[in-house]
Amino acid sequence: MVPQEQFAQRSLSRRAVLSLCAFLLCCSIGAWTQSAAFAGGPASALRIRATHLMGFPNTKSNCNGTLLVKEDTLRFRQDGKSDAELKIPSIQGAFLGGESKQVGGVPMKVGKAATPFGGGRVISLFAHKKYDTLTVEYVDNDGGVHGAIFQLSKGEAELVRSELVAQGASLNVGSGKPAQAGSAEVSNETK
Amino acid sequence: MKPSKRKLSICLGAIVAVAVAIPAWVSGQTIAQGASKGSSASNTQWSIQVETVEPGEIPFAYSFQIATYESLVEELNKTHHFNSVFREGDRKAGDVPNLLVLKTTVVKYTAGSETRREVTTFSGATKVWVRTQLFTRDGKIVLDRTLDGKVRFFGSNLRATHNLARNVAKMIEQSPLPASDQAVTITAPAKLNADSPGEGHS
Repeated sequence: MVPQEQFAQRSLSRRAVLSLCAFLLCCSIGAWTQSAAFAGGPASALRIRATHLMGFPNTKSNCNGTLLVKEDTLRFRQDGKSDAELKIPSIQGAFLGGESKQVGGVPMKVGKAATPFGGGRVISLFAHKKYDTLTVEYVDNDGGVHGAIFQLSKGEAELVRSELVAQGASLNVGSGKPAQAGSAEVSNETK
Repeated sequence: MKPSKRKLSICLGAIVAVAVAIPAWVSGQTIAQGASKGSSASNTQWSIQVETVEPGEIPFAYSFQIATYESLVEELNKTHHFNSVFREGDRKAGDVPNLLVLKTTVVKYTAGSETRREVTTFSGATKVWVRTQLFTRDGKIVLDRTLDGKVRFFGSNLRATHNLARNVAKMIEQSPLPASDQAVTITAPAKLNADSPGEGHS
């Protein structure tokens, strides 16, 4: 009986140690993921998936990537490529808009065209999604005006704009035109 | 000399003459073509500065304004018709001797819908008409036209701005520009009709 009790006690302590180890492991994994998400504290506050439509320096049009607002720069990291960046003080305006687009790209288009009895039209009726657009107006070193347009998931453009403002972007400098156009854009797209 | 040999020598002579004459004729034609190309590109001494798009009273989305502006700069660069293409506010444009300024004002805009286009085919087209004016530095109008850009069937709404910019660049490329600093009005301002206000079409 004595060896059996000893065995039971040992197995109990083993279980306790194992469960403690598992608990610590879970805690450490959680802490690691949190630290990865906020690496560097407020410097890496915003990181959002976006599609670059046009205008950002050294970036292809219509490519997917990640938009970062970090250390006084607005960066676009194209999937599998290096960053393209823009200094936030050079940004003169950031305007929000919305757009409803068909999803699925070319494969979906081919599928819809191949669907008999006009079924493709019915699919089109439901295969659309609303996106936000973020239009950024900035100036280059010579003072030339540029514009870049990004497409983001619904509600995310406002986050980027707020972060740009928080990082010191001097938005709506100059005439009142951008603000009017921005409001027109929102009202137009909600039709 | 036998007649057959004489015929042979005549044929050989003719072949040699043709072989000598054809390259000379071809090279002459090439030179002529080069000269005519040079005369058609007589306005390459001009540079152009593109101004941002003025929406006027039209509720034209800001993304569309910027897309039109960026597409105009890109399409004008593609034509190789001007020495340099400058953006609005570019300080380098101040030093350029022969500069034209491109001003674009939205005249009419019909907002479309990609989903409507996909579902119905015949409706939902996005259309935009702009008044395009080319000025010299001292304010003389060189060119004044109204052009349009449309998306009727396929593509996103922003594609209308790309089509518009392509039409504007093509129109400027095909228009004769005056010799430097002797600008005169070439065309009268276009009138806005119900559906096709301009002279250019997509």
